[in-house]
Amino acid sequence: MSPHSGIKPWTWTLAWLGFVAPALLLAQSPELPAGPVREKVRTACTECHDSHIIVQQRLSSKGWSKEVDKMIKWGAVVDPNDRTPFIDYLAANFPPEKAPEPSARVVPEKKK
Amino acid sequence: MLPRFTWADEPPVVVPGEAGMIVRSARFLDLEMPPEFFDSWLTPVPHFFVRNHMHEPSTLDADEWRLNIAGEVKKPLTLSLKDLAKMELHTVTNTLECAGNGRAFQQPKVPGVQWQRGAVGTAEFTGPRLRYLLQRAGLKPTGKHVMFRGLDEIPGKVPPFIRSIPIEKAIHADTLVATRMNGTSLARHHGFPARALVPGWIGAASCKWLTEIKVLDHEFDGNFMKPGYRMPNHPISPGGEVNPEDTHPLTALEVKSVIAQPGDGSNLKSRSLKIRGAAWAGEAAVTRVEISTDGGTTWRGARLGSQQARYAWRLWEFDWHAPKAGEYTIMSRATDDLGRSQPQAAAWNPSGYLFNAIDQVNIHVAA
Repeated sequence: MSPHSGIKPWTWTLAWLGFVAPALLLAQSPELPAGPVREKVRTACTECHDSHIIVQQRLSSKGWSKEVDKMIKWGAVVDPNDRTPFIDYLAANFPPEKAPEPSARVVPEKKK
Repeated sequence: MLPRFTWADEPPVVVPGEAGMIVRSARFLDLEMPPEFFDSWLTPVPHFFVRNHMHEPSTLDADEWRLNIAGEVKKPLTLSLKDLAKMELHTVTNTLECAGNGRAFQQPKVPGVQWQRGAVGTAEFTGPRLRYLLQRAGLKPTGKHVMFRGLDEIPGKVPPFIRSIPIEKAIHADTLVATRMNGTSLARHHGFPARALVPGWIGAASCKWLTEIKVLDHEFDGNFMKPGYRMPNHPISPGGEVNPEDTHPLTALEVKSVIAQPGDGSNLKSRSLKIRGAAWAGEAAVTRVEISTDGGTTWRGARLGSQQARYAWRLWEFDWHAPKAGEYTIMSRATDDLGRSQPQAAAWNPSGYLFNAIDQVNIHVAA
């Protein structure tokens, strides 16, 4: 995919829109664990980023509280009544004592 | 404790050209080089770690792209990619490491991308010297810091990814506006069409998709300079609180080595094995790498690879014959020409930056 300096600009744009973007859209993310606010967490958090970055964290309730507040400041839409349930859900499912998340690998593209 | 879901149920992550990389985040894209790819002095671009704080530019027209140089200069400049290509080009072989590499090993745990060993890679970066661009623009004596801004697409209300470096580093002969990596145009994930290349410093200094260089009379103080990417001025106890005012911005990398093979948790059939890895020290030079096969009681020197460059890692290897079957802890410790050695425990900090503790892997030798 490395474009060369002589490349026509539209080639680069089309290459990205037509090739890379759909592949990234296909890139799937881990399912969030069941819980009373799972769907709300999914909606609020995955607007900007996928769930890999959530499930790999191992934080205390205090640590999650700082993260949730930072994300609200950065634009995550969280109803004030949901802030504490969000923190409780994340701290219960991704606490410091839980084993690290297994690592996913990028798989080779299928031959067309 | 068992995970509550299994990755086996998840559809695979596909990122063209990046097969085998560890997915730390699919959106924004953050990819880590797995240990088995630490096998060449220059890291092939598809194996080079990718660290994005936000979305990559969705479209980027190489002909339309411009680099603006302004601020504390006499003649602000606007340059095209063709303008840059006509300038005298320099190549710097640099080991680029994310400041958060090794964060996963911090105890207690800290938030952020849970990089293990592979948010690091070495490549030849080519482009005009930043100081040449600044000279052409007529750098004023009031210019004390140089700010970089990229074309990252910003989600929500996230602050833009803007950082600055001190003028002394900016006008150093090895600091580049890089347009090429390992002999070809920069790949999209690595900042096409141009990025800053601040050798020996944390990866975040080398801003990607560069579009604006602004000379300032002060250090930039946006989110990614403050509170981001800072270290406490004094050691703090693990898990302790830090006064944000008692911190300083991260600059050069620490001395560090990692064990690439055997991998942690390996079950080996042969008692003869080659232990190998890489060691780097930012702006300093690695002078030795020592290996312990008895959990740190005794240490012996590893062979350093012949390929070297000022800011580049040294590959190293060590042949070892396990005396008997059993469990072993293998450790590696690098020392540099400033006399720094990897510590037993890295300096804990709330964001897990610059983890450089002695590396270790636990293996089982079967026969």
